[in-house]
Amino acid sequence: MTELIRLTDVTKVYQGGITGALNGLSVTIEEGEFTAIMGPSGSGKSTMLNLVAGLDRPTSGDVVVGDTDLGKLGEAGLARFRRDHIGFVFQFFYLLPNLTALENVLIPAQLKGIVAPGRALELLDRLGIKDIANSYPARLSGGQQQRVAIARALINNPTMLLADEPTGALDTHTGDQVMELLGQLHRDGQTILLVTHDAKLATRHAARVLSVMDGKIVDDARLESPERAPSEMIRVRSEEASR
Amino acid sequence: MTAVLVKAMRDLRRRRLQAAVIFVTTLFAVGTGAMALMLISQPSDPYKAAFDAQKGAHLQVGFDSSIDPGTLTRTPSLIGATAFGGPYPATGIQFRSGGHKYAVTAYGRGNPNGDVEQLRISAGHWPAAGSEIAIALSYANLNHISVGDKLKVVSVPAQPVLTVVALVVDIDEVRADVGGGRAWVLGSAIAPLTVKDSSFLMMDYRFNGDPAGAQLQAATDTLRASLPPGSITNSTSYLLLRSVFNVPDQVLTGVLTAFSLLALAATAAIVANLVTGIVISSYREIGIMKAVGFTPLQVVGVFVLQILVPAAAACVIGIPAGTILSQPLLANSSSALGLAYQATYSPALDVLALVGALLIVSIAALIPALRAGLLKPAVVIANATAPRGQSGRWLRRLASRVGLPRSISLGLGDAVSRPVRALLTVIAIFVGVATMVVALGETRSFASIYGYEGHVGHVDVAVKKSPALADAEATQLFASQPETERVVAQTTANITVPGIADPVSSDIFRGDSSSLGYLVTAGRWIQAPGDVVAPRGLVQDAHLKLGDTFTGTFQGVTLKLRIVGEVYDFIAGPGGHELMLDWSTVAAVAPDLNPSGYLITLKRGSNVDAYVKRLGAAQPDLLDVQAASSGNTAFLATIGGVLFAIAGLIALIAVAGIFNTVLLSTRERVRETATLKALGMGPRQVIAMVAASAGFLALLGGLAAVPAGVALYRQLFDLLSNLGGDDTPAALYDVFGAWELIAIPLAGVAVAVAAALIPGRWAARTNVVEVLHAE
Repeated sequence: MTELIRLTDVTKVYQGGITGALNGLSVTIEEGEFTAIMGPSGSGKSTMLNLVAGLDRPTSGDVVVGDTDLGKLGEAGLARFRRDHIGFVFQFFYLLPNLTALENVLIPAQLKGIVAPGRALELLDRLGIKDIANSYPARLSGGQQQRVAIARALINNPTMLLADEPTGALDTHTGDQVMELLGQLHRDGQTILLVTHDAKLATRHAARVLSVMDGKIVDDARLESPERAPSEMIRVRSEEASR
Repeated sequence: MTAVLVKAMRDLRRRRLQAAVIFVTTLFAVGTGAMALMLISQPSDPYKAAFDAQKGAHLQVGFDSSIDPGTLTRTPSLIGATAFGGPYPATGIQFRSGGHKYAVTAYGRGNPNGDVEQLRISAGHWPAAGSEIAIALSYANLNHISVGDKLKVVSVPAQPVLTVVALVVDIDEVRADVGGGRAWVLGSAIAPLTVKDSSFLMMDYRFNGDPAGAQLQAATDTLRASLPPGSITNSTSYLLLRSVFNVPDQVLTGVLTAFSLLALAATAAIVANLVTGIVISSYREIGIMKAVGFTPLQVVGVFVLQILVPAAAACVIGIPAGTILSQPLLANSSSALGLAYQATYSPALDVLALVGALLIVSIAALIPALRAGLLKPAVVIANATAPRGQSGRWLRRLASRVGLPRSISLGLGDAVSRPVRALLTVIAIFVGVATMVVALGETRSFASIYGYEGHVGHVDVAVKKSPALADAEATQLFASQPETERVVAQTTANITVPGIADPVSSDIFRGDSSSLGYLVTAGRWIQAPGDVVAPRGLVQDAHLKLGDTFTGTFQGVTLKLRIVGEVYDFIAGPGGHELMLDWSTVAAVAPDLNPSGYLITLKRGSNVDAYVKRLGAAQPDLLDVQAASSGNTAFLATIGGVLFAIAGLIALIAVAGIFNTVLLSTRERVRETATLKALGMGPRQVIAMVAASAGFLALLGGLAAVPAGVALYRQLFDLLSNLGGDDTPAALYDVFGAWELIAIPLAGVAVAVAAALIPGRWAARTNVVEVLHAE
């Protein structure tokens, strides 16, 4: 498989922080992988995701996605990079309240100058929410909002889909549905990087689980099958995390 | 109370930028208001002070020079005057100095003192010999004449040379820039300067108290009835002189008042907008305040107080600044009267300005603050943030449909997502743009009046003739010039009109006077003997209707006159008491009437300068030849400068308003902006989104402001015309180019976009991670 993401000796120290959010982290992720990043709060998993998305810059080290060294891009370049390569799904959806579901989905395409209502409707249909295309976010359930957010993330055919706790604001049943969706997308060839607390969800759908603690990867488990049970190490780590 | 104060002051410290916006806008508004108040009230009326100090004449009457002076000295008792001056022999003279020619009325007078019309010598000494002359200060200032200058009198064949020995302030003459021009020589020196048909005897009368117009008219009527017909050649009341003196201040006061009200309106809109924004962004805090025991009134107090503190600080600086800035304008009036100006201020006015400004700001802040007071604590704590503005969807969709980039359509939607905020911002912009339109219009109109009165565009050359030169000789000279296309001869004389106390100054034209470009606001221009036109003021005051026939008296002879039209003539002075008529109307009763000047139109393509030089060289002493011009526009420059300075301040208030709105909106929408950035919106697109929002509101305000500004400009222009007893002709309104009326709102959009760039850049630099993490 082709290497898609490479983080080399990456550190990230927030202003005023005594210890770093990331401390010399190095990892590569290949195209088509469904990778879950797990770890306790403050471990650095969201920071890692933000660096890959070009939303934040490392204090030191290199972040390379495809052929692009993100450290060499300016603000405008990073915006273009996100627009062209990244689909981002947030824990709290972050739909724009003034736009309908369809308009929210269309936003990234429109920012690229593309008119893609057909594809947007197709995505909504694929995610089972075509009927709420003209509804505003305030009128949608959490699950519907997250599906809209996923459709929005996919509208530009991103190189990778980044999901930061996508089920964190949903009930268990809806969360399962959302994860099923991500799993289906992965099976269709989409590279996915998922940040989650939930080991069960991670191991059920991801083929690789990175465990992060104190800004370092402490475990890199490649699962034979997405449906496989968690390895002993993952179980231990997730228990530690939950404690 | 302490808790309210502490909370308000802490909030104020946290919201320094908003406090600065309030401070700056209130400062500009209250400064302008203080200036207007000072001019309106004039704590010490310089004219009254000078009039009392110099024992000004309540009534000045010019009598035919053939009347026995002894008879005139008995007239004061006839009309109940308590004091009098004169009779002073007077004559119109023309003189040359430094290559220029001038015309004044010279009075023979032994000394500057007396019971009435005491003259104040501001430089030099009173004439002591027949070769010395004193000149009115305002005339000398206008024409750059100084003590020691030699004046060659060209209106009499002997052409004596007089030395200027004094500059004199006379409270009983109109200012030089509106037609005044007086000089004094010894009584024994007036005879050699006297010109036939322009000599008269002047009497000054003073009454008890401040006589009203009716009393003075009755006095004039009594004089007229007791003397042979035609004895009174002219008369002037102090009421007329005072109103002429006050015209510039009245114009300035009117404009300043209008502008300061506009500035306060803009400030109120900005304050209301600001407080609305603070309330919206403080939902959780409001809930917490209520939860810990703040009453609704105390919550309101916290919000109002944090606005009042910077507003009060602005008043503390703005009111004295406005008072100080008004001093040069007040001093200008005093210096015109030769008075030493003493800086004046009125504590009562300052308190009025302070209370007024704080009241307006308080009311503007109170309305949105009441909303905060009425919010339910449980609801606001639970929701944490105010409901997002949901308006503007239609606009966003419309913009998308017409193919505007998404960042622009999002910005347009944001602009109106909170309608009240949008409305308040539009009001601020509306006021700024409207004020600019008014300032531009008024300045242009003043310029057009000056051009109109100078017949610019209708006449190429204006010639003043010395009485020493025969009319036939001058006419022959003009006719011999190949470029001469048309000559209209002109002279001025007084005609008595029934119902009007003072003899009416009348312009008498010989030739095609319709070509002079006078604008007729009702009826038609003079066409036949007996036809007269006059400003609306005279028609009204004489209780005439167009088409009415009346009997006028000219040089003691009655004339049958018919009013056929109303003409615009601003320099006719307050009340518009003036007549215009054709030479043929008076030719029969005054066959030796002599033109005092000529208005010449040249053939197309002629060289005006060459013509002026050639004509001037032909009669260097007896003809004053000038290219037609707007004349001295110093007054215009002052008014224009003040207008644009204030309009600039109000425009700055409007800019502060748009800046404030954009700032509030970008802060309120920081999460949405961060989300859009996460989705790939670039910095330029973020800035474009914010700028589109500001630009759209500016466009709305500008589009509404242009017709409103034009309407307000017309109102103010009408007010000005009314001061001159005129109706404004439609043609004088036409001072804006179509492109300007388009460019002005577009300029407003450009300024608004520029003002939005700073908050736009802040939005573009939004740290996505921090914002979304904080959420």
